[in-house]
Amino acid sequence: MAVGFGSVLRRGALAGVLAGLAAALTIWLVVEPVIRRALVIEDLRGMHGGHAAGVPLHGGDEPLVSRSAQVVGGAVTSVVVGLAVGVIFAVVFARLRDRLTGRGDLGRSLVLATVGFGAVTLLPAVKIPANPPAVGDPATVGRRTTLYAVVLLLGVAIAVVVPMLDRWLASRVPVPSTRWAIDVVATVVLLVLVLTLLPGTPDQVPADVPADVVWDFRLASLAQLGAMWLTLGLAFGLLMERGEAVRPGRARVDAGTTVSA
Amino acid sequence: MTTAASVVPSTASAATVKVPVWAWLLLAVAVFTIYVLAQENGALLSAPAAEMLHELTHDARHALGVPCH
Repeated sequence: MAVGFGSVLRRGALAGVLAGLAAALTIWLVVEPVIRRALVIEDLRGMHGGHAAGVPLHGGDEPLVSRSAQVVGGAVTSVVVGLAVGVIFAVVFARLRDRLTGRGDLGRSLVLATVGFGAVTLLPAVKIPANPPAVGDPATVGRRTTLYAVVLLLGVAIAVVVPMLDRWLASRVPVPSTRWAIDVVATVVLLVLVLTLLPGTPDQVPADVPADVVWDFRLASLAQLGAMWLTLGLAFGLLMERGEAVRPGRARVDAGTTVSA
Repeated sequence: MTTAASVVPSTASAATVKVPVWAWLLLAVAVFTIYVLAQENGALLSAPAAEMLHELTHDARHALGVPCH
């Protein structure tokens, strides 16, 4: 009846690697073309003496790592990050499995992945948006990193506080729809507070970076992270359900599912 | 056992997964791994090693949306 933690962790790790591969594929297809457009701007600055012009210049004349190595390194990084996110996801899922709403483990997994995407990806992305090369000012990276971490932690805090509020309301508000409405309003109010009260990025996008490069890059970054969370939620949920279905003694035939091999 | 049975509703107990203590250690390791890959810029590593790591993970860092140089 009970599901062991080890089997949850193994499925989390596998789903994480798959999510990392999906992210790497999205980087390769969607993000890299925009990075190439941004690097052309950096190269143009190099010709005109970028540092003298007061705009950030990335790297020196001799690159420490070649472009092709950076592309491969980026793919490897996203797979390892995917694995780590999958492990975290599995631990949190195991801890919260009896509390997550959703139909079966696939439903629960998709709910958790959606909350994860909102709390640690979308909220920081809205407050401190991703930027392509040629935009970030090295002098402010420490401040931007702190701000990013604070927004991310506040996103997690909202994801923890709202379910607590929901349980507190459960015994006080008899009508479920009223309770859900209060949950939604509380979430929106907390998000607006985070977005309005915290300072934004101190950087200004340099004048030589076209707006569409920045916009395309931010969309591409969200696409990559969205691909990661979606693959993680789907793969983990399906692996959990499959594990349940094939366990001897409690075989469960899902309608519309063909079991092969 | 008696406390667990009294706290957890009977409908939820089937879905409960017992999480061992080492799992939280593993979670900390995973968070640290993400920090090293996404944010490490010399706080822990020597400057040349950190720069090498930064350049290798460069594209993924930008794509992950973490603040970069």
